[in-house]
Amino acid sequence: MRKNDKELVTVFSFVQRLVHWVNFLGFMLLLFTGAFLFAPPLQGMVVGPAGWLSRAGHRWGVIIVAAAVLIYLLFNPKGMLRSMKEIFTWRKTDWKWLRAAPRYYFYGEESGMPPQGRFNTGQKSFYLVYVLTLIVLAATGLIMWLGKGSVSPALFQWSVLLHDLAAIAITAFFLIHLYLATFHPAMRAAMDAMRFGFLPKKYLRHHHARYYDELFPK
Amino acid sequence: MAKAMLIDTSMCLFCNACSVECKQQNKVPVGKNVFYTQMQIHEEGKFPKVRQLFIKRACNHCTEAACVDVCPTGALYHHADGYVVLDQNRCNGCGYCSQFCPFQIPMLEIKDAFTGAGKSYKCTFCADRVGQGYETTCSAACPFGAITFGDRENLLAKGKDRVKALQGRGVKDARLYGEKELGGLNVLYVLEGKASLYGLPDVPRYPVIPKVRDVVRGLGYAAVGATVIGAGLNWVIARRNIRAEEGLEEEEGKSHEKK
Repeated sequence: MRKNDKELVTVFSFVQRLVHWVNFLGFMLLLFTGAFLFAPPLQGMVVGPAGWLSRAGHRWGVIIVAAAVLIYLLFNPKGMLRSMKEIFTWRKTDWKWLRAAPRYYFYGEESGMPPQGRFNTGQKSFYLVYVLTLIVLAATGLIMWLGKGSVSPALFQWSVLLHDLAAIAITAFFLIHLYLATFHPAMRAAMDAMRFGFLPKKYLRHHHARYYDELFPK
Repeated sequence: MAKAMLIDTSMCLFCNACSVECKQQNKVPVGKNVFYTQMQIHEEGKFPKVRQLFIKRACNHCTEAACVDVCPTGALYHHADGYVVLDQNRCNGCGYCSQFCPFQIPMLEIKDAFTGAGKSYKCTFCADRVGQGYETTCSAACPFGAITFGDRENLLAKGKDRVKALQGRGVKDARLYGEKELGGLNVLYVLEGKASLYGLPDVPRYPVIPKVRDVVRGLGYAAVGATVIGAGLNWVIARRNIRAEEGLEEEEGKSHEKK
């Protein structure tokens, strides 16, 4: 795809895409090293000094994700604020979208789908769950990392539990996110948007009508 | 046959022979802040009626051991003789045992604050000695017979006799600690008063979280499994339907999203 194509519209800036992929890198590291500690069949990976490596990997994951958030905050604070506003604003059409979504994702039947903004309701839900669980995971994770021995055992124990629950929620959502981006037969364009930053005008008008109207007022 | 130790606090003179021998047995270097066992003094009452209570504290080798259940590496496990073993080679220093123990016994030595690399330490029940038919180091070291090693059943009977003898001598609050607590401890105590006077919980409770965590773990497997199966199902159905639709559109020559 060529950027100077009149048919293409920029939807994600370079910083936004960078933030996405840095997040992805850190998240993958956290997901795997976390799973090693969580699931007994994988716990062979955390035994003895090999476990130090796995646990170090989990901390590096934290630093990478924190770096991603920091990059966004420093280099594109307006974009970040706008995305946060979008994901926390829920309208009636979002509930309508959720009701119509199964028919669309299984049958390609899109007549019931309301016009969408820059993120559709599904993308918004994933982003929202990611942000919310990130806050929970960071808070409980820091308690377990730095608070061991100085916080009360009860607080530590609850942190372990909340960390588990938040991790399960984001893992389930991430699997759906991954599937829609890479495997779903009808969802090729969103991946292009996150790789190259732009989308065909036609696609935008069709799938993100509200955003299209914002960009190109009639 | 479950092995156990009986610690008779009424016989203890706080000579520290047990803790010194323990350090030697476990080769703890001078200056290293790690205790496998620890002598404690607890004071009771107000002047002029004050008394000091001595107790040797270490891992109580619970039958329902939270540390064993939360350990992610399998470093902590029950020996066939009932006591709890900590395999230092498997331990990765996560410290869950130190945070979930109802007695807060395992000591975590963190070697690297960033990675969290470290080792957990606690009483080994002298597994190497006991395995060869010897008694534990601390019980062998005690000059007053305040620490007795043996079969748990015999020690229970001995402890109960000792409590009766103490009560007969006017120590009304004398009691045996560890018979039923946490499924039965493999370290029994003869106490001269309430357990809390000795820094022990009166009613030690198995923490709630490990059991909830088992449910959460099942929930996690279910959530991931349902997501994967749902996505797979969606892929099969959606591909068929969408291909059929696209085929129709291409026939009519008005395919969108394609150039």
